[in-house]
Amino acid sequence: MAAATALGPKATPGESGSPAASALSMERIQSLTDLADLEAAYTRLCEEEKVVQEELDALLEQQSTIENKMVALHRMGPNLQLIEGDAQQLAGMITFTCNLAENVSSKVRQLDLAKNRLYQAIQRADDILDLKFCMDGVQTALRNEDYEQAAAHIHRYLSLDKSVIELSRQGKEGGIIDANLKLLQEAEQRLKTIVTEKFDTAMKQGDLPQVERFFKIFPLLGLHEEGLSKFSEYLCKQVANKAEENLQLVMGTDMSDRRAAVIFADTLTLLFEGIARIVETHQPIVETYYGPGRLYTLIKHLQVECDRQVEKVVDKFIKERDYHRQFQQVQNSMMRSSSAEKIEPRELDPILTEVTLMNARSELYLRFIKRRIIADFEVGDAMASEEVKQEHQKYLDKLLNNCLLSCTMQELIGYYITMEEYFMRETVNKAVAMDSYEKGQLTSSMVDDVFYIVKKCIGRALSSSSIDCLCAMINHSTTELESDFREVLYNKLKQGFPATTFQDFQRGVTSAVNIMHSSLQQGKFDTKGIESTDEAKQSFLVTLNNVEVCSENIMTLKKTLESDCSKLLSQGFGGEQAQAKIESCLSDMAAVSNKFRDLLQEGLNELNSTAIKPQVKPWINLFLSVSHNIEEEEFSDYEANDPWVQQFIVNLEQQMTEFKAGLSPVIYDTLTGLMTSLIAIELEKVLLKSTFSRLGGLQFDKELRSLIAYLTTVTTWTIRDKFARLSQMATILNLERVTEILDYWGPNSGPLTWRLTPAEVRQVLALRIDFRSEDIKRLRL
Amino acid sequence: MSMEDYDFLFKIVLIGNAGVGKTCLVRRFTQGLFPPGQGATIGVDFMIKTVEINGEKVKLQIWDTAGQERFRSITQSYYRSANALILTYDITCEESFRCLPEWLREIEQYASNKVITVLVGNKIDLADKREVSQQRAAEFSEAQDMYYLETSAKESDNVEKLFLDLACRLISEARQNTLVNNVSSPLPGEGKSISYLTCCNFN
Repeated sequence: MAAATALGPKATPGESGSPAASALSMERIQSLTDLADLEAAYTRLCEEEKVVQEELDALLEQQSTIENKMVALHRMGPNLQLIEGDAQQLAGMITFTCNLAENVSSKVRQLDLAKNRLYQAIQRADDILDLKFCMDGVQTALRNEDYEQAAAHIHRYLSLDKSVIELSRQGKEGGIIDANLKLLQEAEQRLKTIVTEKFDTAMKQGDLPQVERFFKIFPLLGLHEEGLSKFSEYLCKQVANKAEENLQLVMGTDMSDRRAAVIFADTLTLLFEGIARIVETHQPIVETYYGPGRLYTLIKHLQVECDRQVEKVVDKFIKERDYHRQFQQVQNSMMRSSSAEKIEPRELDPILTEVTLMNARSELYLRFIKRRIIADFEVGDAMASEEVKQEHQKYLDKLLNNCLLSCTMQELIGYYITMEEYFMRETVNKAVAMDSYEKGQLTSSMVDDVFYIVKKCIGRALSSSSIDCLCAMINHSTTELESDFREVLYNKLKQGFPATTFQDFQRGVTSAVNIMHSSLQQGKFDTKGIESTDEAKQSFLVTLNNVEVCSENIMTLKKTLESDCSKLLSQGFGGEQAQAKIESCLSDMAAVSNKFRDLLQEGLNELNSTAIKPQVKPWINLFLSVSHNIEEEEFSDYEANDPWVQQFIVNLEQQMTEFKAGLSPVIYDTLTGLMTSLIAIELEKVLLKSTFSRLGGLQFDKELRSLIAYLTTVTTWTIRDKFARLSQMATILNLERVTEILDYWGPNSGPLTWRLTPAEVRQVLALRIDFRSEDIKRLRL
Repeated sequence: MSMEDYDFLFKIVLIGNAGVGKTCLVRRFTQGLFPPGQGATIGVDFMIKTVEINGEKVKLQIWDTAGQERFRSITQSYYRSANALILTYDITCEESFRCLPEWLREIEQYASNKVITVLVGNKIDLADKREVSQQRAAEFSEAQDMYYLETSAKESDNVEKLFLDLACRLISEARQNTLVNNVSSPLPGEGKSISYLTCCNFN
């Protein structure tokens, strides 16, 4: 059967195919009548027969293999039956094992449950025993006034599982337990009352050991908050007493005392140190008996007392030092510029120092309690959620930011900043008014003075440890330097550098008149206004030096402040933005340095155009009166008696000595740089107005070389570049013939970069009287 | 600073009475947050946000000041270097609006005369508690020649617009300034090319 089915699909196409395979049906053959048709049909049928025969042969060939397979299949039959039996057996075993396991495990579960219940029963029995034990213990301990022991029993009772107790009460012995519980609760109440009373008595007597003894008992009775609040009350009283004492001492302090000027800062310091010591001393007790995270509560209570005492000290300070009136006066003088009732800045000096010191102490104290509280919270919050941590952080921020101490200090510093700004401005004005200049110095006194003052004021603000206060004073200093002080120097430079030569006599007069005019406008006739020309010159040069030093000093000041601030920040003062705030304020300050540089440049340009140019130009013009259309004889005569350049150099030397002596090396260098450019430009102008012979060209080349050699010695700038055009002109004037230029021009220029245009080359060539203009025109450049 | 990657740098200082929402406006703009129960600012706070306007990087240095009186002398010291001031009041608080003239006097006294001042009425999410009408504020700002905008830091209404429009204004001012080439007190922003912006309209 199997074989038949196996063969089935193979046979099917043959059977169903054979009638279809024959293209000729029976009816068709029977209807054939024509011989040819019959033959054709016959041939076709024969062919078909052949094909069928082949197919049959092929199928018959497969018979033996199929039979072999059949035999093999028959042999497999019994094996299959064996496997089926095995499988059924296995299934049976698995089911059995499974049931067994189920059975065992359910028993284990039951056992476990039984064990747990047993434990609970034991626990409950223990608890009930404990309850009894506690009840007895409490009574005895109370009778013996052993409050620690009593509290320990109550603590044990309080830590019992309340539901267990409730269950026990419903049991058979409920009555007894009920009675015990009642007694215990009574004992608890009694103990609470006793402890509170005893604590209060100890507190009144100032008996620290007893206070601490009962303080330790509160947490055992679950009275953490109450214990801390009572203990704080005791500590606050101590703080208050000590503070009162200190304040009395202040009132009795002799004004000649060494610390008299900072006595209020010292008093605050004592207060803060006292509180810090209390925290330090009692932190271990609180940690041990109340657990972590409780220090905040203690300090919160202490801070209330601290605030109360700070208020007293600050009130006294304001009264004694007349702080508010002084502030009012400063504000009035700043509003109205009238000099009538101006407060003397020097008088403010001590009070400003004291206020900053007071703030510094407060910041130090606040930082101390902040660190302590954070550390305490951290221990308690190690496993706490992020929300709890944030909540605690909020408590802390609130305590630090909203305490009266912070607010009071912020108020004092607010006034301080205005007064310090006034102090700075007025003292700077004074330094400007008292400006003096000593011969031999480059700068005048006011620059050093002004920077000393600015440094002092910022330094004082820095010493307050308040970043905002520091930044505010940096801002005010920037304003003071940028507007007020720069204005002073700018006005001085505006008076100009008086010229002295006869040609410029007119100019000198105008400038003197200007000076007089401006001083008259200021409402006072300053005799210093009509300075001698020398003094005016001196003043101008000194101002230039001043401007340059200012620019440098600002950068130095910025660097110094940067390092001072980083010290302050590394100590943990200031919030997260502190560094960025300081950096921003300091970079504003540094920008002022550039404004002074710009001013210096303006001043130098002024000096160059009013003092140097009017002198140098005529000296250069003298070149025109020296003929460069010369022959051998004159050339050697020139060699013996230099006609122009030596005198020019001497003149320059003379003129620059004055500047060299009066200006700082850096400015002098810049000035010689400006002068060199001027000489190059002017000399080129006169050169183009002269005419040259071959020897004249040589003479000019010699002159130019001497000049460059001299200028190289007086300046550190590279002047070769500035004289590049002139040197190239000298080269052209030295040519043998016109076409020789081509040896240096275009592809032959080699390393030389021509600064002259072809037109200019022709123009210079034309200065040589011996060069024919046709030759020059014919040049192909 | 000059090495940093930005085309313009502007300082913006927020001023106004305590509790009008200055800190919330800054936080909303710089961090996209509205912290409820924000405590009073102590002194001044400092935030930076770099925005891109028409392909140019604009670094905004925003100084958030404390509104409380006792910090006044600290906050005043920042006026002079500010390129722009945002004068803020609370639309649900008549008092904060009535104090504006006082603030304007401070600006007059301490700020640079080139400073741009914007008047901002905050907290429009509390419309039912409004005490200062839009019309009054608009009239006031017009009389004082100020730009005026109402915002809600809570709902983030007009906050972006406030700062971005201001940045646009500052850019065009800075450009005009480089055009005029005023040497004595140029704005810190530097113009690279000279062209006027037509993108932003301030109401």
